[in-house]
Amino acid sequence: MDSASEYVLRMENISKTFPGVKALEGIHIEVRKGEVHALVGENGAGKSTLIKILSGVYQPDDGAHIFFGNEEVRDLTPVEAVRQGIAVIYQDFSLFPNLTVAENIAVSQNIEKKRLFVSWKQMRDQAARTLARLGVDIELDQELGRLSVARQQLVAIARALTYEAQLIVMDEPTSALSRSEVELLFTIMRSLRDSGISILFISHKLDELFAIIDRLTVIRDGRYMGTYPRDDMDNQKLISLMVGRPVEYTVYPKRTCNDPVLEVRNLSKRGNFFDVSFTLHRGEILGVTGLVGAGRTEMVQAIFGMNAPDAGTLFIDGKEVIITSSEDAVRSGIGYVPENRLQEGLVLQQSMGNNLVLVTLDALTNRFGALVAERKNKVVDDGIQMMAIRPADPEMTVSKLSGGNQQRVVLAKWLAKSPKILIVDEPTNGIDVGAKAEIHKILRDLSEAGMGIILVSSELPEILAIADRILVMRRGRIAGEFDGATATQEQLMSKAILGSISEHQE
Amino acid sequence: MIKARAPIFRNEFLLLGLFVFVFALMSILSPGQFLKPFTIQSMAFQLPEFGILTLAQMVIIITGGINLSISYTAALSSIVGSVLIVSLNAAHVSPVLSISLGILVMLGIATLGGLFNGTFVALVGVSPILVTLGTMTLFDGLSLLLTRGAAISGYPFAYLWFGNGTIFHVPVPMLIFVLVLIVTYYVINRTSFGMKLFMIGANPTATVFSGVNVKRVLFGLYIYSALLSGLAGVIMSSRYNSAKESYGSSYLLQSVVAAVLGGTDIVGGAGSVFGVVLAVMILQVVSTGLDILGFNRFLTNVIMGLILIGALSLNVLGTSRAQRLAKSRTSAVVG
Amino acid sequence: MMRRTGLLRSKELVIFLVLVAICGIVTIVNPVFIHPSNIMDIFLMNTVLAIMAFGMLVVILTGGIDVSVGAMVATVTMVVGNFMAHVTGNLFAVFLVGIGTGAILGFLNGLLIAKLRIHAIVVTLGTMSIIYGAMFYITGGEWVTQERIPQNFQQFGRTVFGHIPTVNGGATGLPIQFLFVLLAVAVTWALLRFTMFGRSVFAIGGSRISAERAGFRIDRTVILVYLFEGILVGTAGVVHTSIVRQVDPNAFNGFELQVIAAVVLGGASILGGSGSVLGTVLGVALIAVLNNGLILMRVSSYWQQIIIGLVIILAVSMDIIQKRRTEQRQTRVDVETAEGIQ
Repeated sequence: MDSASEYVLRMENISKTFPGVKALEGIHIEVRKGEVHALVGENGAGKSTLIKILSGVYQPDDGAHIFFGNEEVRDLTPVEAVRQGIAVIYQDFSLFPNLTVAENIAVSQNIEKKRLFVSWKQMRDQAARTLARLGVDIELDQELGRLSVARQQLVAIARALTYEAQLIVMDEPTSALSRSEVELLFTIMRSLRDSGISILFISHKLDELFAIIDRLTVIRDGRYMGTYPRDDMDNQKLISLMVGRPVEYTVYPKRTCNDPVLEVRNLSKRGNFFDVSFTLHRGEILGVTGLVGAGRTEMVQAIFGMNAPDAGTLFIDGKEVIITSSEDAVRSGIGYVPENRLQEGLVLQQSMGNNLVLVTLDALTNRFGALVAERKNKVVDDGIQMMAIRPADPEMTVSKLSGGNQQRVVLAKWLAKSPKILIVDEPTNGIDVGAKAEIHKILRDLSEAGMGIILVSSELPEILAIADRILVMRRGRIAGEFDGATATQEQLMSKAILGSISEHQE
Repeated sequence: MIKARAPIFRNEFLLLGLFVFVFALMSILSPGQFLKPFTIQSMAFQLPEFGILTLAQMVIIITGGINLSISYTAALSSIVGSVLIVSLNAAHVSPVLSISLGILVMLGIATLGGLFNGTFVALVGVSPILVTLGTMTLFDGLSLLLTRGAAISGYPFAYLWFGNGTIFHVPVPMLIFVLVLIVTYYVINRTSFGMKLFMIGANPTATVFSGVNVKRVLFGLYIYSALLSGLAGVIMSSRYNSAKESYGSSYLLQSVVAAVLGGTDIVGGAGSVFGVVLAVMILQVVSTGLDILGFNRFLTNVIMGLILIGALSLNVLGTSRAQRLAKSRTSAVVG
Repeated sequence: MMRRTGLLRSKELVIFLVLVAICGIVTIVNPVFIHPSNIMDIFLMNTVLAIMAFGMLVVILTGGIDVSVGAMVATVTMVVGNFMAHVTGNLFAVFLVGIGTGAILGFLNGLLIAKLRIHAIVVTLGTMSIIYGAMFYITGGEWVTQERIPQNFQQFGRTVFGHIPTVNGGATGLPIQFLFVLLAVAVTWALLRFTMFGRSVFAIGGSRISAERAGFRIDRTVILVYLFEGILVGTAGVVHTSIVRQVDPNAFNGFELQVIAAVVLGGASILGGSGSVLGTVLGVALIAVLNNGLILMRVSSYWQQIIIGLVIILAVSMDIIQKRRTEQRQTRVDVETAEGIQ
């Protein structure tokens, strides 16, 4: 790498098209040597895609230029990226659950040095040193798969540090960390920066950014919005850049609902959540927010029968129900739109029509178990129409649909069953802003028609726009409850990060 | 109904063409020998047991699994039932009674075998490879225990009808096979159960998340597969006029070859009954044709293995191209 | 040995206890079981299983499987037997030929599995057929009888160390073939623990995606894995021939099941990523003891297969149930209660 260049990385005119979706268009980003640079944008704005291009997993569309230092690199591969001095920590950490902490940390060194033999002493020493740098205490011989998500992330970060790379890229590194762990991470970032290493990290947690960054680049809907030094920036400016207008979503009038449809009492599961109690009313949208790793998905999946709790009871319409499987949940009138749309929500290789009927299949058969075409077609057509799915082609393979339309398929699939309670987990993740607003309207319309909706979301503006009541989870517990009409982002965020053990605040 | 997408027709026509090709090839290579009515008839008698076992395998592969125990399920069930038939026959019980009871027992034992598989795969959650590896060993052992390796014989003459009789010149086993074919086609393509099979094979996680009781579906499926195996066992024991542990063991590999050749995606989620039938026909023609040519049966095995590897390679090559284009798995055929 | 939270992994402990229990039962029924000469017998009869099991362990650790090992070892014995009958009994040459044959077959398997990206079970089903078919076709399935095996090789096969009196007045000792087992154990252990190749095996089995991202050369490792297995199979084939001093091409029908069973019973996960040499040793011992025990307890040999089948199913079930329980208890969230983080 040419030491004369002041930039460790320059990416120019980066575009990326997937079938049916243009994820990125004309992105520019440059990271100086010895700088902490944030890549900011809402969920689905294209940040992860950009990182994948940077690390060689995706190839950009023609016309893109990537420079490391002064040297242009073409046809970047993951191995080449590492060689060029880029260490990427993905959100899934890319670790090995069956190997020990020490080996996970030291593995990259082993590969980079093209070693034929390994020395366990060397690996443990290196791991110990790196963890000490992080100021973290994790047992070196513990099998990684047994650690909590937050701790696994620390191991991932430790591993990246062993590269002594010129540029460390982190994808949402602080999502599952406690305040003190975040402080620690920032301290390390600062010392790395001061020693000449650059850090590029993706975050949508605006409140943390200003404490650590030197500059930031904003992406909105896959487009480049600008690069700004920290001093030129504040929260308000940032939000407006990210969404284009100070007020983002249509804020719907909030309602007070009194007819309980679901009551959750003292739901607990070791290592997942503890003593969760709340009530969901008919016609209400109950928002559940908190940091990633707070236990929201674990908790709602327990209600849906996919994550059996150790203790607690559920009441639907006043009657106790025992739910031990998703089948039980569906029969009790609960539906679940998963966070992981592609793996849990849809069968990608199958057609739209087949996906749409997956929940209601058994109701569409005749006495011999055969699918009655008219009934199936009705469900399919109704679903396409109700959710305005485009293109309106039941034979189309769902993998070809845009994110927004894919989500509509999932919603339509559940609506065909007319659930009393619908749990939606990060429903607008990876969807463009216009489509998000439409989904908000759909959810409001559904609640107005009497459906009880539990909305799990990390997007505070979204929650504030449509939720009637809001629960904040922190570290597996309900940290607080807010009125959807009066809550503010600051209140929610501070509760999510700081929280307290008491039930209510304000 | 799982609608077929455009590629399927191309693929099945390919198989049809392949069938015509090998048929012609064998006829040319053994002039006067292959194209005889006798040969055609003997293939028509042999194909059904192979075809039924292949269907038993195919439905499991659709869900992303594999059933290594089909041959020994057939063997064991036919052995137990045969013991009953033969002893009743020796006691001069009426053939109608002995045969009906015997076949009932055969299918019953097969069902038990399927229950066993189903319990461990569906309820306990062990991988199908391991479970069926274990049951294959178990059933083989039981078969050996009961027969000491010998063949069981002594059926009433009427029993031979199932494997050797004809109705209007059509072999009885072929009629049975056609029936099984129609039922299987109907079940996997027209019923909700069948759709669940494809969904489970394509994405078991999403299927469970949609409220489908995957355990119940798989449990029933393994019983169905075993039932078909048992049926094949009936035909085989009738055709060979005896029941032996080793009968049908070569069909295990061939069933996988035929399933794959017929367009069943080995990782699950796709498969066509028509494709599989064509593949079965192709392999039967190859097997019989080579036999007539005087090929050592070991050489035939080699060729079967090569066909499997070849079919798999083509499948993969076709898939990775599509993968690169659409970033999604395009299965070879959706039946 | 790697410390896993300070204790011997409970899985291996459980297997060990089961092993001891079975030994105990058998001894009570027939005390001949623990007679040293019987123990030597057990060693002798299971050296081939043992050697091949380590090869299979490495394959299964990467998440693969190989059902063609029976065909492979049968082919090796045929090649070796005919080589000795027609060329020479020179030990070095024989081992070279045997190991070479195994290596080539293993390499071909590995190549197909790595490059064609097809699942190992199906590929090896195919190669099993091809190998057996080709072998039987070329050799006509003819035995290589004892008199055609050179004397020096036969002598080699009979070599024993030490003096252990047998039950019927004769004498035996530790068979030389056992050294090969020790060699296989040592090499496999060292390879898995101290080489990058071994670590890649675990990495690929643990998470293929992470391995790709980390820069592991997956294709190369997979090919080497099957090559390694082939080498062990080759060794096992020569060793087997030295024990029985003849070649019967049908001797290994169904043997692949026993090899896979030994590895699985030893606690290796069929999905890959977890397993150990110690576990495989115990798994082999379990099968060896079961087989021998059933004979000594005068249980019909037909029951052996039945019992093995049941044992496989039971063992893998328990493994899955335990795995499920651990997964359920896994900490996904650092839950904070009044007492601190749970």
